[in-house]
Amino acid sequence: MASSTNMHFAARSLILILMTLLVAVSFPTATAQETAPNTLGFEVQEHRLRNGLRVILSVDSSLPLVTVAVAYSAGTIREQPGQEGLAYLLENLMFQGSENVGPLQHVGFIQRVGGDLNATSTPDRALFYQTLPSNYLALALWLESDRMKSLAITPAAVEITRTDLLKEHQDRLASDPYLESFALFDSLLFPDFPYGHTLIGTGTEMRGLTESDILAFHRTYYVPDNAVLCIVGNIDIVRTKELIARYFDSIPPGMNIPAPPLPNFRQENEVVVAQPGFPASSTGFHLGYRFYPMQPNDAYSLKILEYLLLKGNTSRLTDRLLNRDRTAHHFSGTLEERHGVLALKFFCLNNNTVMAERSQKAILSEIDRLRTNPVSADELAKVKRLFKMDYLRSQSTNLGRALFLIDAVFSGKPMIALGGELNKYLRVNPPSLVSLVNRHFTPQNRVMLELGLK
Amino acid sequence: MSRASRVRPGPALYLLLLAAAAAVSPPWLGAQERFRRTPPLPDAAPQELKLPPIERISLPNGLSVATAYRPGSQLVTLQLVVRAGEVDSPPALPSVAALTARMIGKGTKLLSADAIGDMIESIGADYSVDVLMDYTVFTFHVLEEFLDRALSVLRIMVLDPQFTERELASVKRAAYYDLAGRKKNPEFLGWRQFLRMLFENHPYQTATYAEDVIKFVSAKDVASFYSRFYRPDNAVILLSGTIDRATVVQKIGVHFAPWVRQPIERAVPAPPPPNARDRICYVEDPEAAEATIFVGNLIMPASDPDFFPFFVLKQVLGGTTRSRLFMNLRESKGYAYYAFSETEFFRSCGVYWARALVRPEFIVPAAWEIVREIKALSTAAPVPAEIEEAKSFLIGNLPTRFESLDGYADWMARAVALELDDGQWDKGPERLKLVNVESVRAVAQNYLARKPLVVVVGRPDWLDRFLRDFETVEVYDTSGTLKRTLRKGEER
Repeated sequence: MASSTNMHFAARSLILILMTLLVAVSFPTATAQETAPNTLGFEVQEHRLRNGLRVILSVDSSLPLVTVAVAYSAGTIREQPGQEGLAYLLENLMFQGSENVGPLQHVGFIQRVGGDLNATSTPDRALFYQTLPSNYLALALWLESDRMKSLAITPAAVEITRTDLLKEHQDRLASDPYLESFALFDSLLFPDFPYGHTLIGTGTEMRGLTESDILAFHRTYYVPDNAVLCIVGNIDIVRTKELIARYFDSIPPGMNIPAPPLPNFRQENEVVVAQPGFPASSTGFHLGYRFYPMQPNDAYSLKILEYLLLKGNTSRLTDRLLNRDRTAHHFSGTLEERHGVLALKFFCLNNNTVMAERSQKAILSEIDRLRTNPVSADELAKVKRLFKMDYLRSQSTNLGRALFLIDAVFSGKPMIALGGELNKYLRVNPPSLVSLVNRHFTPQNRVMLELGLK
Repeated sequence: MSRASRVRPGPALYLLLLAAAAAVSPPWLGAQERFRRTPPLPDAAPQELKLPPIERISLPNGLSVATAYRPGSQLVTLQLVVRAGEVDSPPALPSVAALTARMIGKGTKLLSADAIGDMIESIGADYSVDVLMDYTVFTFHVLEEFLDRALSVLRIMVLDPQFTERELASVKRAAYYDLAGRKKNPEFLGWRQFLRMLFENHPYQTATYAEDVIKFVSAKDVASFYSRFYRPDNAVILLSGTIDRATVVQKIGVHFAPWVRQPIERAVPAPPPPNARDRICYVEDPEAAEATIFVGNLIMPASDPDFFPFFVLKQVLGGTTRSRLFMNLRESKGYAYYAFSETEFFRSCGVYWARALVRPEFIVPAAWEIVREIKALSTAAPVPAEIEEAKSFLIGNLPTRFESLDGYADWMARAVALELDDGQWDKGPERLKLVNVESVRAVAQNYLARKPLVVVVGRPDWLDRFLRDFETVEVYDTSGTLKRTLRKGEER
């Protein structure tokens, strides 16, 4: 009796353990789920699969559409010297077929049902996205999972894609006389290889890339634990999680994914470089400031400062150079982020070198003014309204919202904190701008590239 | 050792252990799952495309107000549509419509242009103006808490404009450089020449002016155009977003009550006859890197029952990279970098065209191949599978047109300005489903059987090198002026 009891107890225990294990493994998507507060105007859910794939979901049922976006931490900063163009080439080869999807079939499947799709590479990521009727969600997941799991490329596909990309690049260079100067300026502003080299390199490096280089890059970086899957649109959360588990759970995680390189910028004084022989009809210059490292809230102040200086006709620099002084006939600028490194960049075109010098002085004097004179409440309120408008507008489509959420992931912002993010921008005050300018707008962070005519 | 350790598990337990082992081990260690081999079937049909209805009301001075309740955003779109476009410029003064629209907001009796610009930016609004063939749209995207102030700015801009020569000179300069700059784009050159030829001697040709005519317009001309067309009974205010309709209509009534009505007569221009002869026009662009080709002709207006069958036909011809033009000219023949087909609709008619970027040595075969593809559709209707694929794309793609603020605003302005049936787009899927081989064949025979016009943009030296096989080529400069006509076999 005792032995029988023990036997039953042992068998029951084993069964219970096995059942527990079965239950545990049958819900691989149920770990670490978070729900952000609804101050964004939409809900966000996040979870991770066992293989490390980070999944972000957001429901919007206003139109029968869904956007599926996959971003890999596999941008140009992952390239080694001699591999320039590899990230961009691979991004394009991702449409050339995988184990179960033929060359360009990905495009065909999506277009056949009325979807739009695209891809892009930046310094810190490779991004793939499609918007399609929401009842075809499984199709997009099937396609994305297949090319994550089993990219299948041929030497011919590599050659055709490479030739096309280099040709397009040559055409762009031929049609835009300023393009090369932007690349040169970036290499000065980000003076280390991973951060400063261009998307396509000189072309020589891309020509030297082999099929095995490309597949090795894919094996290393196009893996679930180095990726984010973001789905926004008319979805049912439970059904979507089932589909994600079906298509992505069995993809193996990566092996020893290297950490992205940290920036290594050392500059004692302002860098000023002249590029004579500029093949265009105007003289001009690039001027920029690099910000690294920064304090946690500096990025919010810097964004508001970008709007103050550059956004709209009445922004300080635009108004000064184009409307009041009229020393420039083109002026533009942007705040750019490269894997945590922020840079504020200005590009100015002038009729002659005297006007260029005056424009440079005007920019520096406007920045100097910010060191001591706090921005007025009225001006700051105007700037914040312009910013808020753009912030909300950028999230007004499924794709815009997906890109916003992926940006947050790559910036290291927790989803749960996004609900309060807008307020962080709107809380920027005049003293914080004064502090920011005094700490970061220094000659050591400044780079100038002067463009002289032929 | 306990007795329990001597228990020998039976076969059922073995199976359970195996199942557990399979479950516990990482799923990526197994062979490929069967479900990966073929594309999954779609879920049940998606929810219907439901666009908010456009509700309209007329104010006592004749101003129409059209509203659409579109929840889910803190942003509101405010638009003013004036039923006066490029076609309404006097034939002797093309560009007046565009310059008048751009002068709106460039000062009033009390406020300077800068002051108005400050007012717009101070509420964070995104303001733009679009001058189209038949109408003009002023658009504000604004935070909902600033809608009232946006209405006030719009009223000031539209009801109290002052047209000074000083401001006009600045606007003309900007317009001149804008048009001159666009001449660097071969697609713009081709498109403008294409319209210029199709609308030869028709009022719509007014819209195809070059930058050199801008200098002839005076502030008096602008004031006269404004006085004639900028009237409440020739305008509509549109609002979309999370709005309280009754309140906004009341506010619009208050703001725009002083606008004085003055009925105007504005006839719809009769459609011109379609191109019916072989005609090759070559625009010499010394900077062109590749050749740009436009091939097309006139079609029906958007309100015509043939619209949806033709939309499907256009899709078959060159809607995507899977369509006939792309597959033939790029994938099969290797003549082109891309080849697509498009349509545009005006009040009295529409146009279709195929557009391709072509290697210069293949200009002639590529142009003939496009013409051949168009003719082939007019003589043999597409097979049902092709039609179904085109319909599938159009039905699936339709909702994407309304997703963005701009997309929705463009649709609403177009529907109101061209007086289209409100249900044209949200009933679009149903109307597309009704398109069949017979209806496509009928529109193909009706509209594609006519000889299409061919416009090529390319370098001057390509004429001799690559275009000797064309019978006759009219050669134009980048401003659209005829330079010479070349005939096959003649000395060039």
